[in-house]
Parts: sequence; C-alpha cells; structure tokens
Amino acid sequence: MSVPKPIWVGRALVLAAAVLLLVFPQVSDDLYYQNMIILSLVFAIGASGLSIISGFAGYISLGQGAFIGLGGYTIGVLATRMPETSVWVWVPVAGVVAAVVALVLGFVSLRSRGPAFVIITVAFLFLVQVIAVNWVSLTNGTAGLTLPLPQWDFEIGNQPFYYVLLGLLALQLLMTWWIRRTKLGMGLIAIREDETKAATIGISLPTHKIIAFMASAIFVGMAGAVYGYYLTFIDPRGMFSILLSVQLILSMLIGGKATLWGPVLGAFLIEWLNETANNDWGGGNTRLFLFGGLLVAVVIFLPQGILPAVESGLAWLRTRGKAGLVGARIGTGGSLASLTDRVQLVDRSTIPDRAVLEVKGLHKAFGGVKAVDDASFAVPEGSITGLIGPNGSGKTTIFNLIDDTIRADAGEIWLDGKRIDGLAPWERAHRGLGRTFQITRLFREMTVLENVVAVQRRFSVAQLGKVAVSGAEAKAAEELLEFVGMRAFRDQKARALSYGQQKLVELAQILMLDPKVILLDEPAGGINPVLIDRMGEMIRELNSYGKTFLIVEHNMPFVLGLCDPVHVLARGRTMASGTPDEIQRDPAVIDAYLGEDFELDYRDEHKVGQ
Amino acid sequence: MTELLQTLVLGLLLGGVYALAASGLTLIFGVMRVINIAHGAFLIVGAFVTYWLWDSFGIDPLLAIVFTTPIVFAIGWLTYKVVVSPVRTAPMASTVLLTFGLALVLEGAMGEIWGNNSTAVRPSYTDESFTIGGLFLPKAQVYGGLIAVVVLTLLWVLLTKTWLGRAIRAAATNPASAELVGIKVAAVAALVFGIGIAAAGAGGAITAVLYPFVPGSHYAWIARLLAIVVLGGLGSLNGAVLGALLFGLAETMTSAYVSPAWATAVPYAIVFAVLLLRPQGILGMRLREDAVPA
Repeated sequence: MSVPKPIWVGRALVLAAAVLLLVFPQVSDDLYYQNMIILSLVFAIGASGLSIISGFAGYISLGQGAFIGLGGYTIGVLATRMPETSVWVWVPVAGVVAAVVALVLGFVSLRSRGPAFVIITVAFLFLVQVIAVNWVSLTNGTAGLTLPLPQWDFEIGNQPFYYVLLGLLALQLLMTWWIRRTKLGMGLIAIREDETKAATIGISLPTHKIIAFMASAIFVGMAGAVYGYYLTFIDPRGMFSILLSVQLILSMLIGGKATLWGPVLGAFLIEWLNETANNDWGGGNTRLFLFGGLLVAVVIFLPQGILPAVESGLAWLRTRGKAGLVGARIGTGGSLASLTDRVQLVDRSTIPDRAVLEVKGLHKAFGGVKAVDDASFAVPEGSITGLIGPNGSGKTTIFNLIDDTIRADAGEIWLDGKRIDGLAPWERAHRGLGRTFQITRLFREMTVLENVVAVQRRFSVAQLGKVAVSGAEAKAAEELLEFVGMRAFRDQKARALSYGQQKLVELAQILMLDPKVILLDEPAGGINPVLIDRMGEMIRELNSYGKTFLIVEHNMPFVLGLCDPVHVLARGRTMASGTPDEIQRDPAVIDAYLGEDFELDYRDEHKVGQ
Repeated sequence: MTELLQTLVLGLLLGGVYALAASGLTLIFGVMRVINIAHGAFLIVGAFVTYWLWDSFGIDPLLAIVFTTPIVFAIGWLTYKVVVSPVRTAPMASTVLLTFGLALVLEGAMGEIWGNNSTAVRPSYTDESFTIGGLFLPKAQVYGGLIAVVVLTLLWVLLTKTWLGRAIRAAATNPASAELVGIKVAAVAALVFGIGIAAAGAGGAITAVLYPFVPGSHYAWIARLLAIVVLGGLGSLNGAVLGALLFGLAETMTSAYVSPAWATAVPYAIVFAVLLLRPQGILGMRLREDAVPA
C-alpha cells in the first residue's frame, strides 16, 4: 500500500481550510459559528505568536494573553478619546504597543529561565491587570471602556472583523514560517535546545530573544485590538484573564508547539470546546474543569501535540520495514580543499611567530575549591597545542573560561592580539574562537544539517534574515559534513547519532564558524581507534590551512604525536610547557601525571628516539 | 507608637500563618523540583473543609485542624499518585503547567461543591479581641498565629529529628543514592507531597477564620506564597519562614500606611524583582539550569 506523501495531503487540507474560511461568511449567515470563528482567529494568532517564543525558543509564557488585553486597551483608550478618527487606525498602533511591552518580557528572559520565567510571566500578567484596574484616569478601572459602535452597514454584519482577523492570521503565519526558515529561527531553536551551547557557536542570545518576543506580540496586539472592537466593551477582568493565556497555551500545546499549523488547529479546537462548555455544559466551573483537566492531560499524555504525533505516525508508516541509516558507515570524507574553495594551504613561513591565544593569570573558584588557580599559557599561531594534566587539574574549566561558558574570577584572555575576557560567548565566537565539548552538546531535536547551519559566524541583523536550510549556508554545511564523513546522516536527528558520530558533527559545526583557534575537549575520547586516526588526520589537515588548535586529551600517544607545544596543568596552574619530548622527560610531569612507567611504555610502543 | 507596635505584632502573627502555608510549597520544590502552582488552591480546599466541619458538625474551626490536615494530606497524596508522579522527570516548566491545570480543576471542583459565593467561617470569638497594654489584638489572629507556629514546629521536628526527615533530605539531595541505601524514593516523594499539601491545608484552616474566601481566592494566595518562597529562596524552609515574616510585615504595613488598592500589586512586584535581581532569594540555593544532562 502506498501512503501519499504527507506534505501534499497537508497542503491540500490547509488549502481546503483556507477556502472554507474565506467563503464562510458569504455562504452562511449563522452568527453562532461566525462568532466562534472570529474568536478562534484571535486565539490562533495569539497561539501562533506564542509558538515563536515558547515553541521555538522554549520560553513558556503564561502571560501571552496580556498582549491581547493590551491590544484591546490600546484601541479602547484611543478610540474613546478620539471619537472622530476611524477606529481601525488604532489597530496597527496596538500592535506596536504590544511589541514594545513585549520588550519587557524579552529583557526578563535574558536573566531568567525555565520555571522562574513561567512564574514571572504570570506575575507580569497580573501586574498589568492591577495597573489596568487602578489607573482609572486612563482605563476607567473595573467599570471598563465602551468602544464606539461600528459605523458600517448593518447588512455587512461582522464581516470586517472576520476578514481583518483572517488577514492578520495570514500575516502571523507568514512571519512564523519565515522565522522558522531563517538563521534567526535556527538560533531560537538552538536556544531552546541548549542555551549555553548556542552562545558558544555565535548566537547572540539578547538579540534573538528580544526580536522573538517582539515578533511574538506584534500581530497578537493587533488581533487583541480587533477583538476589543468586536466585543465593544472591555474591562480588566475579561481582557487580562489568566484563562485567556491558558487558552492560548493549550491551543499551542494541543496542536503542536513549534509547528506552523498546530497552534491554529489547536485554537479552533479549544475555542469550539470553550463555546460548547459555555453553552451546553453549564459554563463557569465546567470551563475551569475542562481547561485545567486538558492542561494536565496534555502535559502527561500528549506533550508533543497532535500534528507532530500524526507526523511521526505517518513517518513510521512510510519507513516501516525499510532499512534506516543506523549502522551505515561513516564516510571516509575527502580532503576539505577538494570539497570547497574556501580553504587553501598556508605557507608555514608566512605565519607570524606570535601567540594567537593567550591566557594570563586565570582564576576560578567554586566555593572553596580553586579549580583554576593562576593558569597562564600561550597558543602559538598555526600550532596544534596540547593541554594535558590529571583529572580535576582544571583543563575543561579553562576551556569553559576561555569561551565564557563560565565567567572567570580574574585573569586575562587574549585572542588575536585583542583582550576578550569582557566579551560574551557569541562575541568570542565571532572573533574566531570555536570549541567542542567533552560530552558532546549537539542540539538533540535538530537534524545534523540544522545543527551545522545554526552556527553564526558574525553578527548582523541582515544575516539573521538569511534562509538557513537551503542555499549557500546549507551548501557550506554539507561540504563540512562531507569532510567529517557525516553527510549521509544530514537529515537524521542529532539525538539518533552515536557518541562518536556526534563528535564528528560537532567538529563540522564549529568549523562552520571558520574559527582562527579551535578548542577540542578530548577529541579522541570514547571513539574507536580508526576514528581516532581519522580525527588526527583531520586536525593535521585543518592545521595545514592555517587553523590553530588547543587540544585537551588523555590519550598520550595521540597528544604527543600531534601537539607541539604541550602545556601541563596541575592543581589549576601550568606546571610545565615545552615540546612533547621535553614534557615526557620532565621529572615533575612524570611525578604529577604520566607516572614512573610511562616513559618506558611509550618509548616501546612508538620507538621514540631510535 | 502603639499603632506601629500593634501593626508589627499583627504583621508577625500573620507572617506565622504565611510561613505555615508557604512551608509546603518550598518543601515540595526542595525535594522534587516541582513548583506547585496548585498550592494556593489546596490552601482554599483546606479553608472549605474547615468551613464544612464547622458548618455541618459545629466543630471549632481552629481545633478542626486536627481533622482538616489529615483530610487534605490524603487529597495531596492521592493527587501526587495520580497526576504528578507520571511527570516527575519532565522539564520543570511542564510541571508548572501541570500544577497550574490542577489549580484550575480544584477551583472548578470547589465551585461545584461549595459555590462561588464569598464564604466566611465565624466562630464565637470572631469579633472579640485581647487588649494588652493598649494593644488591640483580635483573638482569631492571635490563636491563628500561635497554632501556625505550633504546626510549623512539629513540621520542623519531623524534618530534622526523625528517620523520615533524614530519608526526605537524602531523597532530595541524591535520589539515586538514596534508593541504593534502601530509601523508597517514590514513596518518600508521595509522602512529601502529601505533607506539603497538608501544611497548606492547615494554613487554609487558619486563614478561613481570618478572611472570607471564594474558590478563585487561590490566585491571590499562590501569588503571595510564590512571593514568599521566592523572597526567602526556593527550597529553603528557613528562607520561607523568613520570607513569610517579612512579607506579613510588609503587607500589614502597606495596608496600614499606604493605599490598599495598590497593595494587591505587592506580591507580583516582589516576584518580578527578586527573580530578576537575586534569583536565589535570601537564603536559597541558585538553580543551575546551565548544566546539560549527560
């Protein structure tokens, strides 16, 4: 049995729904359903906006309803003050007001995450409500505001509200769709998956979050304005009801967050349930039961939502019985120079004799534990520098300090002649710092290709608007994936990869940054010997294009065969530096790290010095 | 001067009640990393159960705590078993949504059972007061504050002096290791949830005598309780007590000396400010959310 491609079925369904919505007021004068659709449109816009911050960026907000209320109040306040101006004029103004207030939440999201953020959004909603109640001179308090009645022909009925909202929904969806395709959207999803990691691959957290919060509110504010005009009466209790926010979040969750159509589907479903509960099931308490119960049920039973559930069901039908990529061989890759003209061999004699990365007097204490205690070392330009030392000697912490995953207590970090220890992680990435993690940190719900294109080499607003999933960005990413041998896996979710495969993808990912200095945290750890050799080859090849490496590694043959110079770390400070030969002869190093019998074994195995 | 002293004493008595109500919220968070948004709703459940015992059986509402607390404990324990335990490992933001949904369900249920009209529990001493050295102290507030301190002390003894308390702290610190040394973490978690909810119920029994309430009062309560635990530091029992005393003082001071209309904004403003400026609160630990599960 052949299953039709879901994308065509989906498109046909969307088209049918769109046509139905367009013609409905022309073919039917059923006001009950017209009203239900108008409200559904308002909630669909609200839920789709919410999906930008909660679905993409992962910041769950229970304050989204406030933007509908703010839109309603903007139009209410302005329309009652200036009765001679057309009420419609205030709709875009309401969008701007909502977007500006959303900035507040955007700034909040810079300092708080997870449950604390959810709580703040509830506090935000209630604060806005308290202000609407108490600022009587502006809002008329609990007595509410009555808007001027529509001036148009009675015959037309509610059609202007209906079509304006339909248009706003189209704009909202267009924006959501566009964001998902661009570097901006990739950045937001990266923030959801792993915010700290996102910052290290050049994603400017404040810019992304603030744009996202404004985008999540602008059309919602406009929809709120139309909603207020449609209701003709607004008061703080109705406009800033927490149930409005609950309805939005339920719509988004049930339909499928981070999907384009899920929140729309959810909004129509929930609004239909809401009306049914109000009219047929007694309203009031039943509505609370319904919304509360649904929220509980969705979190327990359907955390991913309807559309993703349907999609994964269809994918299972389609691929059933066919071999997946699991167990497919990792490609042998080719030389990077043969894949792209963006790299070329560098003449070693032209590399200046200077440190491209230097740390001076670095300190970091966790409570009483001095993890890094006055560490200083230099990474010469064009070198593959090793950083070794016993477990707990502070190697990974130093990496964390260099890329600002953790902020240093004291000390200087210089990159390419400029001091970078005051800069945010993404700024360090833009200046040419790339870093892999000891335990790989890929964005698990993204595909391999998306993981690589999520990277942002430099910061510009124009770049955020670039389409990420196709075109030049995707081509460059595929070349890098080919180089590490992972191109065949480009459409696999990162969570499906083995640890070794994740290491390779993470390497491709930071190569996308085109960094000057690449920090590798245990590149040979936990992978098979063939892959270790390949890893060494790739590092050497990249080095021949002028890339500088700093490598933390416990595999001594690997380090000593590859790196020069080598720095040895003990108790958070550099205890020795030199060529591999000097290091393995250094009695202090042997005592602290390598052990008495190291030299013998190593020499036997590698015939060093014969 | 007398007025100020009176406001202070009343504020501290109120703070004691708040401390009791908030202790469960901070305990549940500390042990299972669940921010129970339904805590205010459970408090109102405690208030309605008290009303029912007083109205139907004529039991003194403050003495009725002896019955109210086990009843609310049972409700909390059952709630944990049915809806909270399936999502214990879910991200914290999900459990916030879940417990929020729970709060709405409880609100609806209370509305069905007891109606949405303002309910008040008025024992014989409601309008009586002690007059001590010029201070004018309503009896209900004095009794309520003292009972809160007694219950809170019992809770403290339970948590610090008993085997169960040690098991709870072990389960909170490292569930996997606790399991290895023979603590049934799942059972302990259910117990902790029940105890936390029961504390809210006891707090609800006392507040029932102090203020009239409706099912929808839980919004105002969860705002207060969150402000208190966030102020003291999420997960810290001592912090919650300190936060509650401060908050009780602040609230009595505000309604005595500033406009009561804006006083409703105080808890929200505190939540907003504390979570932004000092997310770990006064005595709390800082939440680490930057670490990635390996």
